[in-house]
Amino acid sequence: MSWLGYRRPDGSAGARNHILILPGGLVGSKICEFVRGTVTLVTAETGHARTTRDRRRAGNFLINLGKSPNVAAVIVQGSAAGGYYAELNLERIAHEISTTGKPVALLTADKCGGTLGLLAKGIEVAREMAWQASRLKREPVEDGRLSLGVKCGNSDATSGLVGNGVVGYVFDKLVAAGGVAMFAENTEIIGAEHVLAERAVSPEVARAILASAQKMEERGRVAGEDIRTINPVPSNFAGGISSLEEKSLGAIHKAGTHPVQGVLEYGERPPRPGLYYVDNNANTFHMFSSFSSAGSQIGLFQLGGAGVPEGGFLDTSRGIVSPMLWLTGNRVTAQRAANSIDFSSASVLGGTETMEEAGQRLYDLILEIASGAVTKVETINHVDPFAIYYEDPIF
Amino acid sequence: MAKRAIRINARDNVATLVETARAGDEVAVVTGGETEGVVAQEEIPANFKIALVNITRGEAILKYGEVIGEASVDIPRGTRVHLHNLAGRRGRGDLARKDAP
Repeated sequence: MSWLGYRRPDGSAGARNHILILPGGLVGSKICEFVRGTVTLVTAETGHARTTRDRRRAGNFLINLGKSPNVAAVIVQGSAAGGYYAELNLERIAHEISTTGKPVALLTADKCGGTLGLLAKGIEVAREMAWQASRLKREPVEDGRLSLGVKCGNSDATSGLVGNGVVGYVFDKLVAAGGVAMFAENTEIIGAEHVLAERAVSPEVARAILASAQKMEERGRVAGEDIRTINPVPSNFAGGISSLEEKSLGAIHKAGTHPVQGVLEYGERPPRPGLYYVDNNANTFHMFSSFSSAGSQIGLFQLGGAGVPEGGFLDTSRGIVSPMLWLTGNRVTAQRAANSIDFSSASVLGGTETMEEAGQRLYDLILEIASGAVTKVETINHVDPFAIYYEDPIF
Repeated sequence: MAKRAIRINARDNVATLVETARAGDEVAVVTGGETEGVVAQEEIPANFKIALVNITRGEAILKYGEVIGEASVDIPRGTRVHLHNLAGRRGRGDLARKDAP
C-alpha cells in the first residue's frame, strides 16, 4: 500500500512540510507569528544545568527533531554559535541536521547586530525556506516508509479489550511492511515486562526491557511511595482498572505481536525498521516530542475515557512537527470528545465489526492522514508545551 | 436477557462486564467461542470485573492469563472485583517503608 509523502534527500518521506525554528524562545516564536508554515518549540527545557548524559539527550533531541521527515528545512538560532556546553553547541546541532541534506541555516545575534537583527534575518530566511518548501510535491511512497508512535491514556477496560488491540493490528501490519512502530511508558510495563521480554529479539534487549521496569519500581521504593497513588490514575480506577499490573497487561496490546528490536531512550532514532520500546515515562508532554524526534510522522493517542468531559477538547500539538491522531474503543468517549477523536473502534465491543476490520480501517485512515488530511486536533492553531525526559536531577 | 462479560484468557478467574449487571442478573461469560453462566450477586457496572469462582484471601487474581494482583479479602463468586478486594503487588514502594502497615 502507498501514501503521498514529501521525499527528503536522506530517503525518508514526510507527511508534513514544516519549517522548524530551533530552539524556541522570543525569536523562534516571533518568526512563527510572522511566517506561514513555520513551527518552533514551546518549553522551559534548555539542557542548562543538566548532567552530561542529560545534556547529550537534550542536544540529540534537537538534532533528531530537525532530522524529522516532517521537516523540510531548519533554522538554528541563538545568541552565539560558539561556547556553551559542547552537547548543545549550535554549530554542532546545525551541522548534524544538515547531514540529512535538507536546508539548514545557522543564525546568531552576535553576527546579526543583536536580537532585533537576528529576528529580521530569521524572518527573511524563513520566508525563503517556506516559499521553496511549498514547491515540493507529494509523491507515492510505500507504507514501509512510515514510522508511528503510540501512547494509551485515560485507559479503561475498553483499552485492553479493544482499543489497544486495534493499534496492535496496525503495528503488526506496519512492521510487516518494513516500517517503524514505537511504544513506551516505563511505569506502565510494570507487571507486564516479563511478557514483553519474552518477545525481545535478543537476551540483551530482554534485559534492557526488564531493567526499564525495575528502574521505575526502584524509584518508587526510594520514595517510599505506593505506585497506586500515582498510577493507575484516578480515571483508570473509575474506568474499571484495579491495579498497575492490570493496566500494564492491557497497555502492551498496543505493541502488536512482532519481536521487540530494541530499547530506545527519549528522542533516540531507531537504527533499523521494526518494533521498538522507548524507555520513556507515560506523560503526554514527554511522549510525543520523543516519538517525533525519533522520526515518527504521526503520533497515535489511544484513549479509554473515564474523565473525558462532554465536549472537552483533547491535546492538540504535543508532537511539535507530527500530528496527534486520537483514537478510542469507548463508545461514550467517542461521542463526548467527537470534536477531537478521529477514530473509534467501539464497534468491535458492539459486535458490528471485528478487531481486524477496525484495524484495517485505522490503517487506511493513517495513510490518508500521512498523505495530507489533517487530524481533528490539527485544525486548532495552538502550540502545547512539551518537556524533555531527563534521567538525573537538575544542578 | 443475560448480560455479556468477556473472559480474555481461559486461565482467568475474573471477567469484564460489557454491560452493567444488577444483583440477580444472569451473566453470559464469553471465553473465545465458549459461553458459560454466572449470576451477579450485586450491581457491577460495565467495564468492571466479576469473580467467576470463589477466590480466597491471598490468592492470585488472573486476567489476560497473568497476575493482576491478589485478593485482599475472600471474594465470593459473582461479586465485583475492584480496589476494595484486589491489591496490586507491584510498584509498592510503601511496603518497603519502616512504618509500612
